[in-house]
Amino acid sequence: MIWIAIRMLTGDAQKFFGLVFGIAFSTLLITQQLTIFVNLLERGASGVYNVSSADIWVMDPVSRTTDVAYAMPSTALDKVRGVPGVEWAVPHIRANASVRTKDGDLEGVAVIGVDDATLIGLPKNMVEGSADVLSRPDSVIIDDVGTTRMFPDQSPIGERLELNDQRAVIRGIADAIPSFTSTVVLYTKYSNALNYVPGTRNRLSFVLVGAEDPAAAKTLSERIERETGLKAQTREEFARDGVQFIIDNTGIPLNFGITVALGFIVGVAIVGLTFSLFIRDNIKQFGALKAIGVTNGKIRRMVAAQAGLVGLIGYGLGVLGTVGFISAFSSDPTFKGFYIPWQIPIISLVAVALILGLTGWLALRSVLKTEPAAVFR
Amino acid sequence: MALDIKSLSFTRQILPLIAVIGLVLAAFYILSGQPDRELSDPDREPPRAPEALANEARVAGSGVVEPSSELVQIGSALSGLVTGVFVQPGERVSEGQTLFTVDDRQVRAQLREAEAAIGEARAAIAEAQSAEATASRQLALYRSVDDPAAVSRSEVIRAEGEASAAAERLRLARARLDAAQARAASARTEIGRLTIRAPIAGEILAVNIRKGEYVSTMGGGGSQPFIEMGQTQPMHVRIDIDEEQAPRIALGQPATVSPRGAAEQQVKASFVRAEPLVVPKRSLTNSAAERVDVRVLQVIYELPASATGDTGIFRVGQQVDAYIPARQSK
Repeated sequence: MIWIAIRMLTGDAQKFFGLVFGIAFSTLLITQQLTIFVNLLERGASGVYNVSSADIWVMDPVSRTTDVAYAMPSTALDKVRGVPGVEWAVPHIRANASVRTKDGDLEGVAVIGVDDATLIGLPKNMVEGSADVLSRPDSVIIDDVGTTRMFPDQSPIGERLELNDQRAVIRGIADAIPSFTSTVVLYTKYSNALNYVPGTRNRLSFVLVGAEDPAAAKTLSERIERETGLKAQTREEFARDGVQFIIDNTGIPLNFGITVALGFIVGVAIVGLTFSLFIRDNIKQFGALKAIGVTNGKIRRMVAAQAGLVGLIGYGLGVLGTVGFISAFSSDPTFKGFYIPWQIPIISLVAVALILGLTGWLALRSVLKTEPAAVFR
Repeated sequence: MALDIKSLSFTRQILPLIAVIGLVLAAFYILSGQPDRELSDPDREPPRAPEALANEARVAGSGVVEPSSELVQIGSALSGLVTGVFVQPGERVSEGQTLFTVDDRQVRAQLREAEAAIGEARAAIAEAQSAEATASRQLALYRSVDDPAAVSRSEVIRAEGEASAAAERLRLARARLDAAQARAASARTEIGRLTIRAPIAGEILAVNIRKGEYVSTMGGGGSQPFIEMGQTQPMHVRIDIDEEQAPRIALGQPATVSPRGAAEQQVKASFVRAEPLVVPKRSLTNSAAERVDVRVLQVIYELPASATGDTGIFRVGQQVDAYIPARQSK
């Protein structure tokens, strides 16, 4: 009986492909737009995620994100080290500077100074060179996206820059997720960074903390706040702060929300129309089935099977399209680090189920009311 | 529903198959493409609180290794050209050992002048003595003559005058000798001051002058001290504690100290004293424009002998991280 339903569905190839296209298109729209939306938002947290070993970030109470930070006096480091439960704490400086390139151009860069002794604060992986190059004088490590912006079509290794009248030599490329603004990032030692960034009185932007017990980072961060009067955020909290900053300060959520809603509406419209047209066309067949004694429950199951097949094919092709899109653009520096969160295909699956359920239910109402005699009309 | 190649339908069989395979591939891609956000341990050991203090109240500070005598910056009392440097960095010297000498030719010339003046004064004394002897004998002769007609009164007065003048000349010559001797002694003192000696026993840490350079009493070029030395047995560390943390520190307890870059090599340092004066934090960034508003309590600890010396991990001037137990208040 289910097989008959499937044959019935695929009998009219135009309508069938119309249905599949509608579902595939709205899946693609929802999945792809949500993916880009989430990844753009997470650009706000990339500064936090690039540092792979810190459980807690400690900062001035007015600091908000990795890029919007107010510097603290250098003794804040020792205050944090004195809190029980802190396994280690290292200084971390983030500041903006202007760099003069060899061509004489001015480029805004973010200078990140990592702890001199341990290099905690560098991204986990390097594209070229090793983190040890920072022990050589005047060394900086550039991030890979910055490379494409500042040195298109050439290797930046060995290039000299001028930062605050100081010499800086690029000796490595780090594998880092770019920030929301895709600023060129130069990693260097804390002591070098102090020279590269024009001086203000206090320089220490963050203290990175490793917890004795990483699972209890939340309680430790509360204790640090209580004992030092500074603001302490766990890695996850601080990543969320970065995302929230983008949500609060840009129109991205609204724009993408509209696109996702459009995807849903287009899906409902195309699929709903085609599906109800298809059911109406086949009302005679349903009537005949009823005439030979097929129950309403069976007909419901038949329509569900039809909807299921359309959903499966459409959803599969839509997700495949998104995956193809993301993987095709993954080498583009703009899309560096983009990934499809596993929750998003599930959200679009729910959306597809909603579209099909809604339209199927609407179309079924007429079928269920059909009398077996309809076959003779 | 037997599958038959001939009756294989594109819409009913191949398309669903493509969709299922596509879903599986997509699931694989999505799950393998999740970002790596695992926390990782740092590659290099950061300074950690010692086991005993891991979950205890504690105070942390950073500081600098210094000699137990503190750093002695040797100066020069007189200016001039350096004629010899007799120590090298790393050398151990005893108190009073010559460190370097400054050109003393001019002072030696003055000494020779003074010595010649001494000889001259001695000759003058001898001459004055013989003149005085002659004059006093002459006077005695005149006085011994009783006949007033034999010696005139004026002859006697002249002889008396000559005798007293000779005595005065002798006194003058003696005074000249004293003056010349004083000049010679002062030249010798100057020569002594041109030889700069070690004020204490200790180790030479830096030598910033070379033979032929000019030393002035105002300090060396670039305000570098000429020679830096200090007693490095034992060595001390001077730990800066934020003034807000200062009341919590348990003074008298040993501190756990590790050098920068070798955080796993922690040693116990025994308490020496806390400086009575709370000072503005001396910045370690060497930036001239830096101002400070943070004050620190400086606490001094003594490093164990095993961690210092030629094979030790601590060197003078090195930065260290320290953990000190806090006072048990609760």
